[in-house]
Amino acid sequence: MQSSTGMTPPLSPVLFAGFLFRPIPAVLLQPPLDAALYAIQKRHPDLFERLAGFGNPVYLIDPVDLPYAFLLKPEPRAARLLVVRDTAGQEADAVIRGPFLSLLKLLEGNIDGDSLFFSRELVIEGDTEAVVALRNAVDGAEIDIINDLLAALGPLAKPAGKAAALAGRVFKRAASDLSAVRDAMIAPALQRGEANGSALQELESRVERLSRRGRPVKHPSGPDQGEPT
Amino acid sequence: MKIKKKLELVCPAGTPASLRAAVDAGADTVYFGFRDETNARNFPGLNFSREEARDGVAYAHQRNVKIYIPINTFPEAGNPAPWHRAIDDAAHLNVDAVIIADIGLAAYAAETHPALRRHLSVQASASNPEAIRFYHEAFDIKRVVLPRVLTVPEIAALNREVPVETEVFAFGGLCVMAEGRCSLSSYATGISPNKNGACSPASHVRYVEKGNKMVSKLGDFTINEFTAEETAGYPTLCKGRFVTGGRASYLFEEPTSLNVIEILPELMAAGVSGLKIEGRQRGRAYVAKVVAAFRQAIDAAAEDRTVDVSNLLSVTEGQRQTTGVYEKTWR
Amino acid sequence: MSTSKLSLGPVFFNWPVEKWRDFYFRMADEAPIDSVYLGEVVCSKRAPFYEPVLPEVIDRLQAAGKEVIHSTLALIMTGREMESVRNLTEDDSLMVEANDISAVACLKGRPHMIGPFLSVYNEGTLNYLAGLGATRFCLPVEVARDTMRTLAGDVEAELEVIVFGRLPLAISARCYHARSHQLHKDNCQYVCAADPDGMELETLEDQPFLAVNGTQTLSYTCCNLIGELGGLDEMGIKRFRLQPQDTDMVEVAQIFRHVADGKMEAPAAESKLFGLMDGMPFSDGFFHGREGVSYAGDEAYVA
Repeated sequence: MQSSTGMTPPLSPVLFAGFLFRPIPAVLLQPPLDAALYAIQKRHPDLFERLAGFGNPVYLIDPVDLPYAFLLKPEPRAARLLVVRDTAGQEADAVIRGPFLSLLKLLEGNIDGDSLFFSRELVIEGDTEAVVALRNAVDGAEIDIINDLLAALGPLAKPAGKAAALAGRVFKRAASDLSAVRDAMIAPALQRGEANGSALQELESRVERLSRRGRPVKHPSGPDQGEPT
Repeated sequence: MKIKKKLELVCPAGTPASLRAAVDAGADTVYFGFRDETNARNFPGLNFSREEARDGVAYAHQRNVKIYIPINTFPEAGNPAPWHRAIDDAAHLNVDAVIIADIGLAAYAAETHPALRRHLSVQASASNPEAIRFYHEAFDIKRVVLPRVLTVPEIAALNREVPVETEVFAFGGLCVMAEGRCSLSSYATGISPNKNGACSPASHVRYVEKGNKMVSKLGDFTINEFTAEETAGYPTLCKGRFVTGGRASYLFEEPTSLNVIEILPELMAAGVSGLKIEGRQRGRAYVAKVVAAFRQAIDAAAEDRTVDVSNLLSVTEGQRQTTGVYEKTWR
Repeated sequence: MSTSKLSLGPVFFNWPVEKWRDFYFRMADEAPIDSVYLGEVVCSKRAPFYEPVLPEVIDRLQAAGKEVIHSTLALIMTGREMESVRNLTEDDSLMVEANDISAVACLKGRPHMIGPFLSVYNEGTLNYLAGLGATRFCLPVEVARDTMRTLAGDVEAELEVIVFGRLPLAISARCYHARSHQLHKDNCQYVCAADPDGMELETLEDQPFLAVNGTQTLSYTCCNLIGELGGLDEMGIKRFRLQPQDTDMVEVAQIFRHVADGKMEAPAAESKLFGLMDGMPFSDGFFHGREGVSYAGDEAYVA
């Protein structure tokens, strides 16, 4: 997906706006995330097993273009993914920072992590070995985020309570947004930037509006200015 | 038109997912290591359990793709069991060859599993006809992965003199030192490529922000620093920037990837049998992309056609590439 | 009086031929060295300079009662290089140390030695090569004490360990000395001759790291196992190799001889050695199974 010209992906920080730039309180985001991770682990029971022997490192995954970051505790079969509003003061063994779409592509193995890093899109801090191990584990798991998330909708389809119902709606919206993201990612026209110019512009302005309401986007241009954690 | 004998495309897999990606993208052969210190890419989270290996062999063999298992570190004194077990298991898995570097291990394999085809790893550093004949006569080695020290004319001359097949590195990370004889990484980190199977191990890598620069370190040593505009690299020791005679330079090698795609006809004419893609530590996206490109290029070369494969550049290290030692000017 | 023996490894550096010859003359006449390995190990382009004086150097060393062993090139790529090794191994009046497996192929069936450039890490390989006629093995630089002990207890052949000098860490087809001077190997102008201890390589933060010697890369630090001679002797390793550096190697040899014989304590020896090395730091990390650059130094003497 990367071109050799070092072009910034035209979709970032655009497309994920619909989902995570919505001003949802972290407390509401957490249940669907739990469900998602549960689903992913159910569909990929060997995910994170490749991390055995690395002393349960904690990762701070920081999409620089989102108002949230995530703490990942990848214990085999009992992994946790926690939404955090602020990266400051978080205890983590390693930090992976980059545009959300790049992180998503990395998660799905659609892009070579080394290439991402060589192009400076991704910045890693802290325990490099833990990052390499996570990358290898995730790359080996063949995650398909849409299908994995749709699978997670099962248990949420019959909400037991009000919060769960809200979480379910958030989650369905997330899945639909993700579909849009993925469609966009595989649309070659978008890679060229000009083809869908007006649609992109519309998205851009929407993101701008939304991101002003969310966490300030401190490092929209790339990972090399990552703040210390 | 006469169709020439095609080069065998030998592709890396660090995970079962990469194996399937390589097979599906047109590999003739996939090589992978067991998840321990017996192979030279003993990286965190990488390589195959015995169960994954069994499934991988089945997946490949069902599609007429071969499997090679590198068991190419040097066994620890007094503890040969993990290496012997790896050989035994490879034999029982019915793989198509094992790739060995250590003399004692080659002797064990030849004695214990004479029917198991043996290749000589690049780690054995067999760079001349006498060395290759030695391994062939002693252990019935059928193929040698050539160390990255020879030019194409030297490879051609060598192929005329040796009774075995040769395989050369075609794409990916480039060792600039004679392999299997390099202690640079263990000098800086204590982890040895020869003994532990990892060069410039991630456990000893750190990236440090320094002013407006990012500094990459291996152990206590700064390997490189990058401004915001520069493409970064993993701090592999021999791809670092160092100062000699008051001048900073990439003394050993620029952070670059080997790519022989433009000299495939020359390599075919030189009598090479196999083309090896480096990169068991890279992801399946890399594997799929590189394997597909080489599949096209190899098929085209066999029919004297050329194809445009310029899209490979984005997966190269530092986004630069070289034909490396295959051209004499490299030295 | 210890039964241990001191060896002098081959000069790795490109010294002017007169200096090279006089160095060996002096070692023959004055140094308490039992065995001398010589011959060009690093770059075949240098060998022609030494060949004319080689016979007189060998005569002088042998006349002084030294065992003389000819070391082969470590990396053999061209037909010409192979031919030179073949010539060397065909002369059975001279003991040869093989630094490439091709030399072993030429030497098998008669007594020979194995140098530190062959990957001998375990008893399987060691015993196989011993079966072909290898009688002595100088172990690779990164072999640690525990491995040495295992090997010493398990094999018949004599083991030798490098105890002094910059450690040879890598060899390449590419000449980094030439590259540093923006020259090609084919037209290198022998710029490596300017650095009799190798060319210092520093990190971008001015930290000394390595030493470049043509196609060879060495440690910046000087390996020093002077405090470990007793331990080596106890595990049955009784051959200690000193690598020539551009200093008073006669005195270096005397210091090691004194310590091996119990006539000098290691800490005193260490400070004397340091005085000879013009600020070059010591290392013993490989021996202790750690990063090669590290130095346990004094703590080792206490233990």
